Amino acid sequence: MPGPATAATRAALRDAGEELVQLDAFGANGPYRARNRLTVPDVTGQPLAELSIVPPLFVHRALAALRSADPLPPGERAAALERAGRLFASGTVGGLDPDTYRELVSRCSGLPIPVVSAATGIVADAASQAAGTVLQARPQAAVGDWRDPATRTGAAVWTRRGNVFAVHAAGNHPGVHALWLEALALGYRVVVRPSRREPFTPHRLVAALREAGFGADHIALTPTDHTVADTVVAGADLALVYGGDDVVRKYAGHSTVLPQGPGRAKILVTGGDWRAHLDTIVDSVADEGGTACVNATAVLVEGGPDEAAAVADALAERLAAIPSLPPRHPEAVLPVQPLAAARAIEGYLLRSAGSATAHLGGDGVVDDLGDGSAVLRPAVFRLDRSDAPQTGVELGFPCVWVAPWNRGDGIAPLRDSLVVTAITDDERLLEQLVDEPTISNVHVGDHPTYWMRPGLPHDRYLAEFLMRTKTVIRD
Amino acid sequence: MSDHGRTDPVLDCPADETPDGEELITAAMRWHFSPETGSPFWLERAGKLDFDPLRDVKSFADLRLFPNLVNELRDVRVEELIPRGLTLPDDLYGIYESGGTTGAPKRVVCTTDWMERWLAFSQRHLDARGCPRGVNWLALMPDGPHIFGAALREGARRSGGILFTVDMDPRWVKKAIAQGRAEDAARYADHLVTQAGFLLETQDVGVLITTPPLLQRLAQDERLVALINRKVRHIQWGGAHMDADTRHLFRTEVFPGIQLQGAYGSTMILGGSLERIEPAGEDRCVFDPFAPYITFSVIDPATGENVPYGERGQVVMNHISKAMLLPNNLERDTAVRIRPPEGQMGDSVADVSPVATFDDQAVIEGVY
Repeated sequence: MPGPATAATRAALRDAGEELVQLDAFGANGPYRARNRLTVPDVTGQPLAELSIVPPLFVHRALAALRSADPLPPGERAAALERAGRLFASGTVGGLDPDTYRELVSRCSGLPIPVVSAATGIVADAASQAAGTVLQARPQAAVGDWRDPATRTGAAVWTRRGNVFAVHAAGNHPGVHALWLEALALGYRVVVRPSRREPFTPHRLVAALREAGFGADHIALTPTDHTVADTVVAGADLALVYGGDDVVRKYAGHSTVLPQGPGRAKILVTGGDWRAHLDTIVDSVADEGGTACVNATAVLVEGGPDEAAAVADALAERLAAIPSLPPRHPEAVLPVQPLAAARAIEGYLLRSAGSATAHLGGDGVVDDLGDGSAVLRPAVFRLDRSDAPQTGVELGFPCVWVAPWNRGDGIAPLRDSLVVTAITDDERLLEQLVDEPTISNVHVGDHPTYWMRPGLPHDRYLAEFLMRTKTVIRD
Repeated sequence: MSDHGRTDPVLDCPADETPDGEELITAAMRWHFSPETGSPFWLERAGKLDFDPLRDVKSFADLRLFPNLVNELRDVRVEELIPRGLTLPDDLYGIYESGGTTGAPKRVVCTTDWMERWLAFSQRHLDARGCPRGVNWLALMPDGPHIFGAALREGARRSGGILFTVDMDPRWVKKAIAQGRAEDAARYADHLVTQAGFLLETQDVGVLITTPPLLQRLAQDERLVALINRKVRHIQWGGAHMDADTRHLFRTEVFPGIQLQGAYGSTMILGGSLERIEPAGEDRCVFDPFAPYITFSVIDPATGENVPYGERGQVVMNHISKAMLLPNNLERDTAVRIRPPEGQMGDSVADVSPVATFDDQAVIEGVY
């Protein structure tokens, strides 16, 4: 390990830091402990770990190694992914056993520990199934290998659009790391720039992948500060970038960057029988602590203000009963943030609400736990029309906008949604929802917005972005 | 006196001797604030100071009495800056300009005597590092109005080498970046690297002098990395900061057999400092200035007081010679304050990095 000592204070800090978990970068020459390290705090402000922040030179060298490597054969990739998934979920990786890992993620992100546990399983499943999942996206006419007999008479071969894939990851939920494993399954070499908000998951996953057989020239982890983040994206052939509307706008015209923005998932209930589906609606809002892009942001209720108010009241009653618990508590459901951050989110919510009618959370959503952190309690606001702009205000806790909807409104208020759960018998409406290009997924009936399965697309198949077909004809 | 005070045993001591700091300050006050020898610039401003430089400025700490006048160097006619005690044209080496990072360029006066002292200091340092003499130098550095270009030209010649240069206009690059045209700046940097490639391929180059951003671009080209590792024995970087991790990677992975040496200077002090030669195994980059002519302090900008050793603060620079008096210049950089070598006036600095904004302008390093 290198031993810098540029100044007494930094030396002193480092001594204190020896007890903290060290999250090294993973580059061309193995793990790298940088001199430039960022303290990763938990939601109460206690330091948990030190994250090595690498400079552009390190990123360039990691990318050069990925670029010059040959992919593992497909069978080895699948086996290594499966091993890595098992290690990730239940092994000791980089000195951390699974329980310690889950506790660290929970303390750092404020996500309830059951949410973190569930996400671990999701990532492990995704790893073990990635090799099969990606095949779902292959065009029917295409074969996977140029040696396939079909190419004797000419055939489409499914090939990579590039060799090096960059992931500019999000820190809102460990589950986001399930997706990019598919790139490894397809033979891409992958560099991950972790979120500084929750770096434990990508660190553990990359460590597990290396332990499972992906070499230093196949998978890299390059934590950087904001000024260097673009270097990671620019140096790869293709990139997946998580962010807000600004990120989506920034990369809108880039054919080599796939932006993943806010989900703005919505529920539509027609016909007045919403009571039977209340569980689905509540779960869609509050499962995953309300932190995932697939959590419902808005509920549209057929009828007038009275129908909407009835749904809002029922939602508020159910959500109000959720207890405020620290994230490490086994029964925790709600997310926790540092108090100041929670107050800022609350301020944003109340400013955004404007003239909306509060059914829950109108006096605020911050529940101070007294240790520097605060629970973000659910909020239910009612709007007077389905096209009110608040339906697009997506926040990282159970926060839902309820609005009346009528057939005359059509599907316009449901556009730009990652998921629409439609509780309706109206086939024409369903047809329109499925046809609508800005709606990524349609769930009909009692399927919460967060429902996902490996092998089914989340925001189209990632492989649609990673792969292309080309004709091969041979003697 | 026959020479009207134009020679001084302290200011004019032999170039390879180091004068006592307080004696230098006293002699410099006499030189710059005497009507026969001082510059019109300082003589005019002396009347507006609320202290008497000749009476009140005797120590390093007293330099803080001076206001920071460097911004005036953007507008003032250079004739106003030339000390009357100089014999023109022989004593004047040239007029040089800052990089214009924080606005219009500033101008300074360099004398033949000062260039002599600065080069003697540099050569002593290079020799101590074992930098070979008689080899060719390749500089990807600003030339033109910047003093570094002039010093390189002299330095290469005196060390017995041929100097190859690649033109660089740092102001244009900074302007491109400030206007959001980072891609233009990147293309320009690629162009410079291509030009350097022609020289590295065809010529003998033993010493490479460039900026950290350009060194990183060179390092992305495996062919150039191989050429540099085969030919170059000494790399000097300067003009922009280099973080500790980048430096470590250069030293251990990219250019493992090459002496890597930092320089931290500024046209506004007519030179600067060179990286301290640390014992083997030490992993830090400390800059010791060419004191007492060039001196640093590291301060808390809110209070103006020194930060404790080991803490980060903003760098204040001073230049004192017959050429110029440039005291108390709050620079754009922050650095960690380091205990100086025995006998050095002021501080040494380490881990230099730019402040984010300065004089309400974003600080842009660009390729320089």
